[in-house]
Amino acid sequence: MRTLKLRLRILTIAILSLTAMSCKDNKKEHNNEDGHHTEMTIDNENHSDMNHDNSDGHHEESSEKVDRNVETSTLKNATTTLIIDAYIQIKNGLVADSKENAAQGGEALLTAFTSFDMSKLSGEIHREYMEIYESAKEQAEHIVKSPIDHQREHFEVLSTDINDLIALLGTEKTLYQDFCPMANRGKGAIWLSETKEIKNPYFGSKMMTCGKMQKQIN
Amino acid sequence: MWVLKKIAIMLVIVLIGIQFVPTTYNASDNVSETDFVNIFNVPHDIKNLLKTSCYDCHSNNTHYPWYSKIQPGAWIMEGHINDGKKELNFSTFGDYSGRRKKSKLKSIISQIRDDEMPISSYTFIHRNAKLSEKDKFMLDKCLNNLRDSL
Repeated sequence: MRTLKLRLRILTIAILSLTAMSCKDNKKEHNNEDGHHTEMTIDNENHSDMNHDNSDGHHEESSEKVDRNVETSTLKNATTTLIIDAYIQIKNGLVADSKENAAQGGEALLTAFTSFDMSKLSGEIHREYMEIYESAKEQAEHIVKSPIDHQREHFEVLSTDINDLIALLGTEKTLYQDFCPMANRGKGAIWLSETKEIKNPYFGSKMMTCGKMQKQIN
Repeated sequence: MWVLKKIAIMLVIVLIGIQFVPTTYNASDNVSETDFVNIFNVPHDIKNLLKTSCYDCHSNNTHYPWYSKIQPGAWIMEGHINDGKKELNFSTFGDYSGRRKKSKLKSIISQIRDDEMPISSYTFIHRNAKLSEKDKFMLDKCLNNLRDSL
């Protein structure tokens, strides 16, 4: 019994240190910890095949469990809401001429895409989603690392991507599709807004009210 | 004096030594079916411009000048090629979806127009990769036509 308790304690410490080192999302990791305690007591004696670098093998065992549990407990979202929220964050960053805020929105968009649950999409819809996703991801990556004029160029493409995504999967949000005839070197470009009032993300304070509303979504 | 001599000898040894470090050679014998010049019907001079100014880093076929075959030139070249192909690969342009073909073309056009590509750290050595104003104008026109046709 004593050794069992000792082992448990070592395992707990190992897991705690691992979660502390490797956590990206504290909340998620906390859930995992609870799950581990029960699993640990059951698996306690099965360490014979776990002799990696660590003499006792405990570290390897627990790290494998952390991975497994993260996978099962990652919260997936089946709606486009998070993606649209992140897009709006980029848009508002550009409206405010803020490269930093737009870049943060770009990060948020990348995260939103990773947490999107596409397991329910099938066939043609899945194929189309993947095309939109690959393009949007590329635009977001550039928005994260580029100066503001480049952010705006990528936002032109991103707006089309997100607009097509909404056409494909829908949204519960009320949005407005706006058009700026001067963006995209005079070719014009659309953007989506959560407010009826025109606030131009392509020119920001230079031409805040340039553009017109084309369509209301929902 | 002997210190300088020692340093010089060390440098020579290091320079000879690094010649034996292998780098991946970015060249294939044939032009793939998905290559930009195979999926789009572009004029000969545009093809040449793309090949000299873009394809070294943005395709699976690099033309290696002599100084990029010896170290540390080969490393620098390898870095350029890896970064370049990650962003855009003309050899596999046909594999991009229609959506991405359009956005890639848009980015190519704007990078050339803003003199961001070919990148200056590359044209600094590869002088012939630099685009003249006339080259830029021709590329801009041709690529914009392609973009509108998609």
